[in-house]
Amino acid sequence: MMKQRIPLYIVILLLFSFLVSEVQGFPFSVPSIPHLDKATKAAQEVSKAQRPISDEEEYYIGRAVAAKILASYPLLENKALTAYVNLVGQTIALHSDTPQTYGGYHFAILDANEINAFACPGGTILVTKGMISATRNEEELAAVLAHEVAHIHNRDGIASIKSARWTEALTVIGTETARSYTPAQVSQLVRIFEGSVEDVFKTLVVNGYGRSQEYQADETAMRYLSRAGYNPGSLRDFLLVLLAQGTAASGGILNTHPGTAERIENCAHTIPSRKLDESTAMARSARFNTALRK
Amino acid sequence: MILRILLTSLSFFLLSTSIVFGETARIITKENALREQCRFFSPVKARVQYADVITVISKEGDWYRASFKGIEGCIHRNAIEEKSFNLSGISGTEKRSATNTEVALAGKGFNPQVESSYRRSHPEMNFRAVDLIEGYTVSETELLDFIIKGGLNRP
Repeated sequence: MMKQRIPLYIVILLLFSFLVSEVQGFPFSVPSIPHLDKATKAAQEVSKAQRPISDEEEYYIGRAVAAKILASYPLLENKALTAYVNLVGQTIALHSDTPQTYGGYHFAILDANEINAFACPGGTILVTKGMISATRNEEELAAVLAHEVAHIHNRDGIASIKSARWTEALTVIGTETARSYTPAQVSQLVRIFEGSVEDVFKTLVVNGYGRSQEYQADETAMRYLSRAGYNPGSLRDFLLVLLAQGTAASGGILNTHPGTAERIENCAHTIPSRKLDESTAMARSARFNTALRK
Repeated sequence: MILRILLTSLSFFLLSTSIVFGETARIITKENALREQCRFFSPVKARVQYADVITVISKEGDWYRASFKGIEGCIHRNAIEEKSFNLSGISGTEKRSATNTEVALAGKGFNPQVESSYRRSHPEMNFRAVDLIEGYTVSETELLDFIIKGGLNRP
């Protein structure tokens, strides 16, 4: 009887191992077969050759994009306000779908009165003094930062790099194990890097993101706000303020293909429901007023 | 009957642990930590750096339980290159490490060497301010205090 059931046990064990591998994200293990190994290796090489931009590469592009923005916008050196913005931003980042990036999240204030914010790939978020002054409470500031964190999670900046550039970069990078490049390779990579930075900069500062990217970032931002314990409706509230003021910068957050009114409407349809605790909102308002000296 | 149940249970246990145990993965953030429990703000047991290779033991939601230099702890999935072990099993049942090629890919592409050349040809770029911004950090204690005092949710 026991012997008869052995095949059945084997099948059950194999099924179980498959389920475990799927549930835990691990692959199904099968015995090594030489030609299968070769095919797998080839598939892995192809996969590497077509790999997306890594987190580390995204970080270096983001640094250069930030350096380009900071060439025209001076940095506001206000330690207390910068620390406060970083606390709000880090809270949102920890509740996001990408709580950690290669170089981490960093939030800085640009000394400019225009209302604008930029999410540089990799996690550096630049917000103008004008934008911060336009927010009326911590919830609205969190909403602005959540929208930018969402762009980083969605890799919207990186998506604006022309695919031909990255394909060309991969031919230089190759799959060899060399750790440094020849001067000719470096010069070729620098040219591609320069073009990639330009692509991202144009999207962030000049053209703005597309309709679906903005809607997606708003929806994602409201989810992050809700997870963190902020009022998700604060994003819509802040957009209403901007609409009433009629303020719009030449690029960035307000230069988007869906206008502010359309974004407000989209928020109204997708806002997650959440029970609000007014007493904790008051504590946040108090520290917001202290930080902004309102 | 009892013997049969025991044998089956033992087989299930051995098979499941043999799949999960011993896989390795590479750290893809500049620095990170193995924590006591699988959540943020839990005490740090060991520090890890970019390209360090850890041994993954099991998965718990968005976290992996792993070991590094004999110290066991939890690390968030964002901090490791999941594909380095997701691709592994098909080539055999043996314990598998991150390959030399995978480790060597660290730092390839757009890296400090490329940035350095780019900076030389673009002196107008304000990398000094970027370095300053990257120095803006808040400690875990400050952040946790901020979350609690503001009545916000702990991640």
